[in-house]
Amino acid sequence: MKHILKLHVNGEDFEILTEVNKTLLEVLRENLGLTGTKRGCDVGACGACTVLIDGKPQLSCLTLATVVQGKKIITIEGLAREGKLHPLQKAFVEKGAIQCGFCTPGMILTAGAFLDENPHPSEGEVKEAISGNICRCTGYVKIVEAILSVSENQ
Amino acid sequence: MPYALYAFHKEGRMRLPKFECLEPRSLKEAVKAFAADPGGALILAGGTDLIVNMKHGVIQPKRLIHLKAIPRLAYISEGKDGLRIGALTTLHELVSSSLIKKKYPILGQAAKEVAAYVHRVMGTLGGNLCQGNRCRFYNQSVFWRGVRPTCYKAGGEICHVVRKPKECHSTYCGDMAPVLIAMDAKIKLVGPVEERTLSLKRLYTQDGKKPLSLKKGEILKEIFIPPPAGNTLYLKWRLRDSLEFPIVSLALHLEKNGENRIDRAKIIFSGVGTGPVEASEAEKMLKGVSLDGPMIENVSNQAVKEISPMRTSLASPAYKRKMAGILLRQALEKTGS
Repeated sequence: MKHILKLHVNGEDFEILTEVNKTLLEVLRENLGLTGTKRGCDVGACGACTVLIDGKPQLSCLTLATVVQGKKIITIEGLAREGKLHPLQKAFVEKGAIQCGFCTPGMILTAGAFLDENPHPSEGEVKEAISGNICRCTGYVKIVEAILSVSENQ
Repeated sequence: MPYALYAFHKEGRMRLPKFECLEPRSLKEAVKAFAADPGGALILAGGTDLIVNMKHGVIQPKRLIHLKAIPRLAYISEGKDGLRIGALTTLHELVSSSLIKKKYPILGQAAKEVAAYVHRVMGTLGGNLCQGNRCRFYNQSVFWRGVRPTCYKAGGEICHVVRKPKECHSTYCGDMAPVLIAMDAKIKLVGPVEERTLSLKRLYTQDGKKPLSLKKGEILKEIFIPPPAGNTLYLKWRLRDSLEFPIVSLALHLEKNGENRIDRAKIIFSGVGTGPVEASEAEKMLKGVSLDGPMIENVSNQAVKEISPMRTSLASPAYKRKMAGILLRQALEKTGS
């Protein structure tokens, strides 16, 4: 049986008619067309589905859409402001931290939430923070450099 | 395999089955709903274990009772008699808490060993303690499991680890339980008729199919830790330094008296049994002694005799036994110095 979900995503309010058993990942991608959030493993082991809920990272593949009603959801699409890239997005582009780009949305959102709590981390702390975001392409070196460059400039 | 379960993995992904999701506003409401539906309802907190198992089709609750809307279940508060942690406190809150860093640092250190950053933000202490047992034949998708008959834990007849019926050898792999048991933690359970407090160790049945001793309708509310004494270490052995469950892990707690002799020892392993495993004979060997090379060797050898790892993961039981001994040796050498 369908019910109406009221979700607040990237600053906008949406009403979505859907089943109870939908994960936030499914609703974001299929009902809202926000395909920036990726389905990697679907079981919470790769981090590609990471979104921000009230500023904190969360795996949308393991989150029921119904329980995040009334919370502030940010996907990768909501990071740029008025066409201006977030410092992390800019750093990832400039440092060559993006190859296929599949891990990138989850990687950037995780890094952003981490830097909010820990503005001047060591390299080891950055690596630890992104250890839940798997990248098959880059070998992580440029990703860590990009995140560190943002923390240094803050 | 039944078609209804096959539908789980249509289009190459795992859809959740249909269920009802309740969001009670009080623990009393939650307990009432849980007690009213013992067969079909399960408790949802962070979801990092439960939702995965639902996607794999090994559990099929008709109803989920979501606890995160209930106020005042997440807290870290210190009193004269010790530390009280609400069951819905996230692992990330344990890692970040300045009170814990100052007075009970091992709790934050152990919490930081769990999975990765995002899992610790979602996952709760209660959920970590109550996590399901794991096995390479159980924690797999409908598609993967379809090549064999359903295993006993997932509702079938046979355990594929030992190829015998009506047995379950799934492994307890939690990180927080060994540390908390070593620190003599107690838990408060709230049920439909009564509240009860018991030692955390007694939460675990050592039964792979039903690992928790919760009675009908009981929900874990609070974890209590006595004031810190002695030294507690947690060593986790796994292939990566993040994400993974332990191959084997060890919580060692030692209290020494003035003459550097051991007053009290706790040796608790994870990853080597159907529940957290306490090496009680090894603990007895340590009482009243001063640590030296030969004693450490003897205690480690004894502890290895008290664990019974099964082939529930990629690591062989022989390897787990060897690593358990090595971890204990390392831990004793570290605290001895």
